[in-house]
Amino acid sequence: MSSRVEYGWRATLRELFTYKSAILGIAILAFLVALSVYAVVTIPYDQAVKLWRGSENVWINNPRNALPEWWEWFAGKKLPRTLVLDSRVTGFGVSKAVTPVVGTDMKLVTINYIIDYNYDDFPSEVNIFFSARYQKNPPLVKLVVQKPGGEEIEFPRFSLRAPNDSLYYSISKDVLSTLVSYYASKHGGVNVSDRLTSIELTFGRASREGLESGALEVEKGMYRVRIDAVCFGEDSDLDARIVVYGKVHGPAGTDNLRRPLEIALLWGAPVALAFGLTASLLTTVLQMVIATIGAWYGGVIDDIIQRLTEVYMILPFLPFLIMISAFYKIDIWVILAVVIVLSIFGGGIKSTRALVLSIKEYPYIEAAKVYGASNARIIFLYIIPKILPPLVPGLISAVPGFVFLEAALSFLGLGDPFLPTWGKVLNDAFNAGALYRGYFYWVLEPAALLMLTAFAFAFLGFALDRVVNPRLREM
Amino acid sequence: MCSAMVSKRLIRHLVIRGVTLYLTVVVAVYLTIIIANMGGKVDEFVLGDLYTRIYEEVNRNPQYRALPGPEKDKLVKQMFELEVKRLGYDRPFIERSFIYLRDALTLDLGRALFMLSDSGSRLVRNIILERLPNTVLLFTTVTVINFFIHLLLGLYLSRHHGSLLDRITVALSPTSTIPGWFYGIFLILIFYTWLHLLPPSGMVDVPPPPDPLSYALSVLKHMILPMLAWIISGFFLGVYSTRTFFLIFSTEDYVEAAKAKGLPPRLIETRYILRPSLPPILTSFALSVVGSWGGAIITETVFQWPGLGLVTWQAIQYFDTPVLVGITVIYAYLLAATVFILDIVYSLVDPRIKAGFAR
Amino acid sequence: MSTALSVRNLRLYFSTRKGVVKAVDNASFDLRKGETLAIVGESGCGKSSLARALIRLLPRNVHTYSGEVLLDGVDVMKLSEEMFRRSVRWRKISMVFQGAQNSLNPVLKVGFQVAEPLMIHFGVSKEEALAEAKRYLRLVGIHESFADRYPFELSGGMKQRAVIAMALITHPEIVILDEPTSALDVITQANIINLLKRLQSEMGLSYIFITHDIALTSELADRVAVMYAGEIVEISDAEEFYRRPRHPYAEKLMASVPTLRTDKKLEFIPGTPPSLINPPPGCRFAPRCPYAFERCLRESPPPYEYKTGSFVRCWLYHEGKR
Repeated sequence: MSSRVEYGWRATLRELFTYKSAILGIAILAFLVALSVYAVVTIPYDQAVKLWRGSENVWINNPRNALPEWWEWFAGKKLPRTLVLDSRVTGFGVSKAVTPVVGTDMKLVTINYIIDYNYDDFPSEVNIFFSARYQKNPPLVKLVVQKPGGEEIEFPRFSLRAPNDSLYYSISKDVLSTLVSYYASKHGGVNVSDRLTSIELTFGRASREGLESGALEVEKGMYRVRIDAVCFGEDSDLDARIVVYGKVHGPAGTDNLRRPLEIALLWGAPVALAFGLTASLLTTVLQMVIATIGAWYGGVIDDIIQRLTEVYMILPFLPFLIMISAFYKIDIWVILAVVIVLSIFGGGIKSTRALVLSIKEYPYIEAAKVYGASNARIIFLYIIPKILPPLVPGLISAVPGFVFLEAALSFLGLGDPFLPTWGKVLNDAFNAGALYRGYFYWVLEPAALLMLTAFAFAFLGFALDRVVNPRLREM
Repeated sequence: MCSAMVSKRLIRHLVIRGVTLYLTVVVAVYLTIIIANMGGKVDEFVLGDLYTRIYEEVNRNPQYRALPGPEKDKLVKQMFELEVKRLGYDRPFIERSFIYLRDALTLDLGRALFMLSDSGSRLVRNIILERLPNTVLLFTTVTVINFFIHLLLGLYLSRHHGSLLDRITVALSPTSTIPGWFYGIFLILIFYTWLHLLPPSGMVDVPPPPDPLSYALSVLKHMILPMLAWIISGFFLGVYSTRTFFLIFSTEDYVEAAKAKGLPPRLIETRYILRPSLPPILTSFALSVVGSWGGAIITETVFQWPGLGLVTWQAIQYFDTPVLVGITVIYAYLLAATVFILDIVYSLVDPRIKAGFAR
Repeated sequence: MSTALSVRNLRLYFSTRKGVVKAVDNASFDLRKGETLAIVGESGCGKSSLARALIRLLPRNVHTYSGEVLLDGVDVMKLSEEMFRRSVRWRKISMVFQGAQNSLNPVLKVGFQVAEPLMIHFGVSKEEALAEAKRYLRLVGIHESFADRYPFELSGGMKQRAVIAMALITHPEIVILDEPTSALDVITQANIINLLKRLQSEMGLSYIFITHDIALTSELADRVAVMYAGEIVEISDAEEFYRRPRHPYAEKLMASVPTLRTDKKLEFIPGTPPSLINPPPGCRFAPRCPYAFERCLRESPPPYEYKTGSFVRCWLYHEGKR
């Protein structure tokens, strides 16, 4: 007779590696683990939660709903990045001059910004954030925009309403009407299309036809923005930060709260892995223990366990989970506990119990009883090692189910409210109508990661199943 | 072969099974009430509901219409407290819980806080039950379609096992660990956001077409994506499972004996491979049906399909407690009913059960 | 004495990952009308494969299937699959399988399965076929009420009898019985053998009785064929065989069977049978044969007819050493 069937861990592993799907699964898993480690190491938990809550305008310098940077490759044109120029930060492109007016306590503050704009598309937004210091009277501010061609557009003066006032340039009605009347008069009473936004009028190459039809091309070149302000008071001062928001940001884009998606995507990995593995592991182990106890002791205990298993089949798992999450304040650990409690008398018990029942009759078990081995010893030394191996593939294959369960819960808005998970990103995206507004990346990225995780465990689990289950091997 | 030899014993077995299942429903509903009321939620809405009812009654009653405000309030409060005593709502929790249990089991689920049913009723029972047929329509159709796809393709693959198609199916079976609603998201992305071919949500066009035929067609059009999502999800594993079943069953000795007997190949396939393998196929089919009820919630949310699942989601959004509790109760009943029906079908198909009770 | 079945140079090889398995290698024999030919040999010698080859139950990995099988003067090997199914299976040759318990479809009633061949091959109506099935069940000693039962309700012995009834209902000429009693206890075994004997004389059947249990064959066999490593190495009349087997392997076999009345020193055959994948050149038994000489290892001996109708594949006889 030729080859002997090999047993043992090493042999199982060696055979596992002959399956390409298993190798693929392990590779993806390694990638996800690396991602998780990276996430936990670079952004500690508390910081991640704080960042994701996005309070105190943490993300104000990020564009809204920006595409990921790699989208440029598909779009075929250079998409604008965000440009931030702050008068408090010395650097190229910003200069500030303060000139006191002799004989008064007024000061003239001039801030110059130079914006070298070379992108193929318009910015998404432009905001100017002021930071003023004054006693009684706020500064009077005038804004001048100079386009590459040299033409200047002057905006009417306005006074700040608070020390930290902002000018939302792109949505301000005053700004828009100034621009429209400027171009209207410049091009001899042209009827400027009301489709054109302030951004397009500012950064676009204006032509008569373009203005009328509402289609302008981007004018590349050197833009100069000047802030002329009059400050009142000895100690008064004015600083300003201009943000020209791009259309792309980061490796994953941003959401409608300007949060960079990569934080949630990165942190979703350890959460998904930990939740899925823990849930699956604990459920499998507990089910195994319960099934073994039932099958071994038999009688009333077994009956009770059987009845419980039947009840569990009728228990509506997800509605229960939803009800509990909706009514009570819960975090991810409670969700985990509830999921496990709702699963322990599930279907896996039937097959494990059948297996234990058949092992119970083996001669060597009888022999152990005869030489006086205690029940515990028999169970742990003889029975459990025999039933463990067939359970491992099931354990691994069950992980995706739990991962999707958590994702589903977050998707419904019922998950841990603070933890950034993939399901939560999907929930945010769905609530903001991402599917209908074409923010596909917002949905695709967490979905792709969820799918990868599922594939990793599923491929591995299915291959393991074929290795451990000889009957399936021939098929 | 499928003679309706339904013996008395078989009926008795089914009755016992029905009673057992009902008992499990009772346990499930009781658990629901206990858990829901741990934060006093059930008490809240039961009492609140009672108060509102009494208030409305008093207002409607011509006798009391003339009463000034504060007097009316006092009257309502008096009547309320009387009712509470009468209905036993002031008893200790254990007793109360059984009263709630009785109510829930008879589907007296109270009134919703915010939501309204399609017909304008505020009764939780109506809100949920009116939407039930839509869910049944969608999910039963998908399950039936899946059953036949898996059966036929599994049979085909078992005959050609080892072929390229077979190996692809085996390799891709892990794709079924991803639930249908997830594929649904992708499908919406492709067929609506990108291609603008199919509608992303709802059951029927808005405004709904007037005549029955175009209404039906419109519903069908809206059913395509959610059904496709669940077909894709269950496909590879489903076909793989039935194919494996058929393979195992076609290597049985009695199949070879049938061939030796000179029976034509078609007959062998139907009578000697298909029929004996129906019971285990039905079992896994049963499990998938039960599972699909759970998946309904998210699927209907994703596709905004007006069924049970969407009601759940809306109840979550509005935080409408009585509806959420009601949903759990109805789900318990649904699951029990499904299991029971499948039990009946199973016992009719597997003669070992049918005959075992005829002796 | 006419011939029911004439097999010449039957070959059945399978392709496996490890090579070509020569399960049945060049088998030739005749089966006379009304006689029982016992085919004996150890596990793996190819007897079951031979049975399957005769009724054309081939697996998916068949490599070679050739030879001549003459039934009523027609070479059935040349028939198409459909013709073979319609004219040979169960009409000329029927079969009782090893472990017949599993030959019955668990979801069909016993009576129906017994009646099925009549409905399929002769177009008999269901009622008539069932009536006939009940008759045959009675014939094999099963009460006809069992016709309405399912296989799981019958005991092992009863299932065996039912399968025999099933094999006879179309009144075939030849019945192949592949280890029909190996899964049964000794008493039931004896009953079945008696039944078979009775039926043979009542219905004029020819049996091919395949078994590893030589003692069992002594009850039924008219002639005995011995298989070793895929080849038929001896065919002798039963009386002659039990008294004086010719082939060294057969000799050793008989020596290992305990006898009741004489005091016998039991022997065993050292070594193991050769792999059917690459059988050695020359006689396949040579490596274990105590009488082997140089030619045995080189050339494979053709059958030597030492008496009319009796053959032995052994150089000892060709060279007159025996």
